[in-house]
Amino acid sequence: MIRFDNLSKRYPGGLEALSNVSFELEKGEMAFLTGPSGAGKSTLLKLLMLMERPTSGTLLINGKNLNRLSRSAIPNYRRQIGVVFQNHQLLTDRTVFDNVALPLQISGYPASETGRRVRAALDGVGLLDKENLNPLTLSGGEQQRVGIARAVVHKPKILLADEPTGNLDPKLSAEIMAMFRRFQSVGVTVLIATHDINLINTMDERIMYLENGMITDDGVRHGHH
Amino acid sequence: MAITEKTNRETPPRGATGQKFRLADRWRGYRAHHRATLSSSLGKMLGEPIQTLMTVLVIAIALALPSAMLLMLNNVQKIGGDLESSSQITVFVAKLAESKAVEGLALQLEDLKGVISVTYVSAEQALEEFKALSGFGTALRYLDENPLPAVFLVQPLLSGETGVSQAESLITSIEALESVEDVQVDMLWIQRLNAITEIGEKVVLAISIALGIGVLLIVGNTIRLAIQGRQEEIIVVKLVGGTDAYVRRPFLYTGTLLGLFGAVIASFMLIGCFIWIGRSVEILASLYQSQFELVGLGLSGVLALCAIGAVTGLIGAWIAVMQHLRKIEPK
Ligand SMILES: Nc1ncnc2c1ncn2[C@@H]1O[C@H](COP(=O)(O)OP(=O)(O)O)[C@@H](O)[C@H]1O
Ligand SMILES: [Mg+2]
Repeated sequence: MIRFDNLSKRYPGGLEALSNVSFELEKGEMAFLTGPSGAGKSTLLKLLMLMERPTSGTLLINGKNLNRLSRSAIPNYRRQIGVVFQNHQLLTDRTVFDNVALPLQISGYPASETGRRVRAALDGVGLLDKENLNPLTLSGGEQQRVGIARAVVHKPKILLADEPTGNLDPKLSAEIMAMFRRFQSVGVTVLIATHDINLINTMDERIMYLENGMITDDGVRHGHH
Repeated sequence: MAITEKTNRETPPRGATGQKFRLADRWRGYRAHHRATLSSSLGKMLGEPIQTLMTVLVIAIALALPSAMLLMLNNVQKIGGDLESSSQITVFVAKLAESKAVEGLALQLEDLKGVISVTYVSAEQALEEFKALSGFGTALRYLDENPLPAVFLVQPLLSGETGVSQAESLITSIEALESVEDVQVDMLWIQRLNAITEIGEKVVLAISIALGIGVLLIVGNTIRLAIQGRQEEIIVVKLVGGTDAYVRRPFLYTGTLLGLFGAVIASFMLIGCFIWIGRSVEILASLYQSQFELVGLGLSGVLALCAIGAVTGLIGAWIAVMQHLRKIEPK
């Protein structure tokens, strides 16, 4: 589903944020990306979102080379992906419902279908009763769950998350992780970047360790490699 | 690797998440989205009433000014036309026409539509007048023959929109009469008036272009600020797969609405002014026993102004969007 082939990324005027990264993530697989701050975790996810382009190497999604994707093809590509970012969060000029509905609205879903799917997604993160509130009135954990609902509302094939448990306490963090695992169990490919090693060590999933832009350890647990 | 190859052969999902809903639903969704975008653009504008009102007023003035000048020009042209159609027509009688034919011609001229008076000046009277006015009296005495023809001075009264064309058809019908040598209308000052209004038209055009560019800049600046204010939203929309068209749509609506509202207010300004001035013009016209009426904007003028305003607003917004929207990318 996701394949990095000798991929390097150098920011203009900077050191290599990623060097010769190669790994593969299969359909329905879940993996964590960890490592110290500045290791290149966010950069790796940004490459997957086409927010950045690689300096060298190839990135294949479903066998398609992302390097060859034109600017005008980017929106359609991004619609296949659900993304939870720590920054770029919820829009405060609209309700929780409208935040979650955004990925459907941009694809022109009819209102009835939108309502059904948004409520299903909010139900999945346990926030069905908060749909009419402004996100500003929610707690940090609830806001993060709204972000997750928005990331999955259009049933993406791939779910990416960058520090999704950022400022949350261990109990809330565990809840969020459990949620991601539920998406994996229905066939979504999940890749989560986090520095919270204690948390992911309890989860018995594949952990890729990134340091100075290089994968130093890839604890593949589910055999094919 | 076997599994990877299998996944590689899968076709990636197209569009959002498959095509489970029908095309008709999609079209309805698209229209609903346009409606929602329009009303949210409107809502955002009304949310900042002072800012919006100021922008709209500036646009209105920029649209009203050249429109007012154009209307004034139209009215001057209309006055010119009215005067043209009421200026005296000189009908030269053929030299060899017999007196009976001349009498008949007088009757025919009086019968023509739009003629209010016909004055006959015989060849002798014309010569006497010429002698008195020119001072060539003595010299002319040596002529065997009176060189001047008899003339009819015809006073038409044709007014309204069709005045000029009525005058022209009157002249044509006079020319067609028997014993008529030539027909002349004193057009010189009308030609001068036309030349002046032509210059006026060019001036109005230049001012319109300058103020039109002004409107583009005002709308462009307003949209630029709006884009900056909604940077966060634009980034999120792009991240979840919003197309460029989706992102720019609300701004294009805002620009179009600003131009349209500006045009509506400009129309009210112009109509108000013309009602106000129209009263004085009516009094003045009645003093001159004229039926002249001020030509205002009219419904077609209002519609044209609204179309121009909306299109200018749209173009201004488009320029701003092209300049600023591309730079905002999720980082
Ligand atoms: N936009 C950028 N321009 C230049 N350098 C960047 C940019 N973004 C990240 N970097 C650098 O790339 C490296 C990796 O950053 P990042 O991917 O954010 O790491 P992580 O998410 O693991 O903390 C860091 O050294 C960071 O300073
Ligand atoms: Mg990071």
